[in-house]
Amino acid sequence: MKRHLPWILPLAAGILILAVWYAVKAIFGIESFILPSPDEIVRAGWHERRSLLSSALLTGRGALLGFLAAVAGGFVLSVVIGFSFRLKQAFYPYILILQMTPVIILAPIFVLWLGQGLPAIVAITFMICFFPIVANTTMGFLSVDPGLLELFAMSRASRWQEFRYLRIPSALPYFLTGVKIAGTLAPIGAITGDFLAGSAQNGVGGIGFMTIAYFSQLKIPALFATGAVACLLGFIFVGSINLLHWLALRRWHESLRKIT
Amino acid sequence: MTSAPLVRLERVGKRFGEGPAVLAGIDLTVERGDFVSIVGPSGCGKSTLLRLIAGLIGPSEGQIAVAGAAPASARDKMFFVFQDASLLPWRRTAANVELPLLLRGLGPAERRARVGQALELVGLTDAADKFPWQLSGGMKMRASIARALSVAPQILLLDEPFGSLDELTRDRLNEDLLAIRERDPFTACFVTHSVSEALFLSNRVVVLAPHPGRIAHVVEVPFAYPRPASLREDPVFLQLLAEVSHRLRAATPEGAAR
Repeated sequence: MKRHLPWILPLAAGILILAVWYAVKAIFGIESFILPSPDEIVRAGWHERRSLLSSALLTGRGALLGFLAAVAGGFVLSVVIGFSFRLKQAFYPYILILQMTPVIILAPIFVLWLGQGLPAIVAITFMICFFPIVANTTMGFLSVDPGLLELFAMSRASRWQEFRYLRIPSALPYFLTGVKIAGTLAPIGAITGDFLAGSAQNGVGGIGFMTIAYFSQLKIPALFATGAVACLLGFIFVGSINLLHWLALRRWHESLRKIT
Repeated sequence: MTSAPLVRLERVGKRFGEGPAVLAGIDLTVERGDFVSIVGPSGCGKSTLLRLIAGLIGPSEGQIAVAGAAPASARDKMFFVFQDASLLPWRRTAANVELPLLLRGLGPAERRARVGQALELVGLTDAADKFPWQLSGGMKMRASIARALSVAPQILLLDEPFGSLDELTRDRLNEDLLAIRERDPFTACFVTHSVSEALFLSNRVVVLAPHPGRIAHVVEVPFAYPRPASLREDPVFLQLLAEVSHRLRAATPEGAAR
C-alpha cells in the first residue's frame, strides 16, 4: 500500500477536486457559460481539436523560436559582459531598464516594427526569456572559485584558456538554471505575444488569439479547453529542458548526483 | 661554481591595501634540493609568503627572485598545491592532472605519458576515470599532488595540503611525499601548522611569529633522507619536536593562537 501512495494520493486529490467542481456547479446552479463542467470542457476540446492542435503548434513554434533566440542571444551577451567586469558595469543597467519595461508596452512597438504575427510574437517571447538567462549566466561567469583562478594562473593559462576551461564550465549550471526559468516563461511569453500581436489564418491563430476568439463567441468550455492545452504545452517545454539539464550535469554536479 | 639559490627573499614585506603589515622583513633563501617548511600560528602570513614566492601576489617591499628571475616570469619552474585540492569538479582525475599540461600547450602524446606517470607516482592509477566527488579527501590531495608533479616543477609550493585530513592519512601522505621525492627530486616550500609534519618532511623549518609575520626562528633538521616512518618515534626527533613547539609557542603572543 505504502509504495503506491505516491500516485494514489494525487489521484485521490484529483477525484476530490472534480467532485467539488461538480457539486459546486450543481448546488449553486452555475450556468455552463460561467463555469463549464469538466466533461463539457473535454467534449468542447475534442470538438475543437483541429483548431486547438494547430493553435498549439503555432504558439509552440513562437515559444520555441523566441526561447532559442533568447538562449543564444543571452549566452552571447553574457559571454561578452562576463569576459570583462568593466563591460558588465557599463551595460548591465541598460539590460535592467529593458527588463523593467513591461511587455504590454513593448508589444505595440514590436507590432509597429515587425507587423502583426510570428516575428512580433518571437520578439515578445525573446524579451521575456532573455533576462533570466543573462542574469544567471553573468553571475556564473563572475562567481568562479578564486582557488581555481590561482590554479590557472600557476598553469600560465591565457585569458581565453581561463574562459574556455574554467569560466564556461563553472557558469554552465547557472546558465542552465537561467534556461530553465526561461523555459517556463517561453510558452507564457508566446501566448502573451499572441494575445497582443497575434493574427489568424482561416479563423485559427495561436493560443492567445483563440482565447480572444472563444471568449468573444462565448464558447466558454472551449476557452477552458484552450487553457488545458496551454498547460500541456508548458509541461512539454519544461519537461524537455529539465531532461537537457539533467543530461548536461548529471555526471558531476552536486545537485543531480545520486546519493551513494 | 656556486649556483644562485633557487628562491631568495630579501627584506620582503607585504600589506594589503591600507591594512596592517602581514609580513615584514622576511629574509629567506631556499637552495636547490631543500625541503623548507614554514610553520606558524593562524594568521601569521604563511600562505601569503607562499603566494609571494609563486608570484600570485606582489610584495609591498623588498625583492623576491626565483631562479634569478621575478616570480611571475618563473612560473613555469613552479607549481602550487592548494589547501583544498582545487580540482575542477567536471573533470575526471586524469583530466584534472592533465589540465596544467594542456594549458601550458604540451602535445597529446606527451600529456598522456606524463599523466600516467604522475598518477602512478601517487598511486591513483585506478581512480583515473573518477570524478572528484567520488574521491576521498586523501585521494583528492593525491590527485592535486599528481597534477603539480605532472609539470615536473623545480619548486613545489604546498599550502597546508594535508591540513584537513585525519592524522593517519596525513602521516601516510607525508611518507609518500618523501618517497616520491626520492624518485623524482624537487625543491619544496611547505606551509603547515603542524610542527611534527614540518620536522618529518623538511631539512629546514622556518618558524613565523605573527603581527606582522616575521621569521622568529630557523631550525636545521639533522636527519638524513630517506626517512623511515619510525623517525617519528626517535628520541632525537621527539626532543626537537618539543623544542620547536616551544619556540612556536614563544613566538605566538598570549591569546593570538586560535
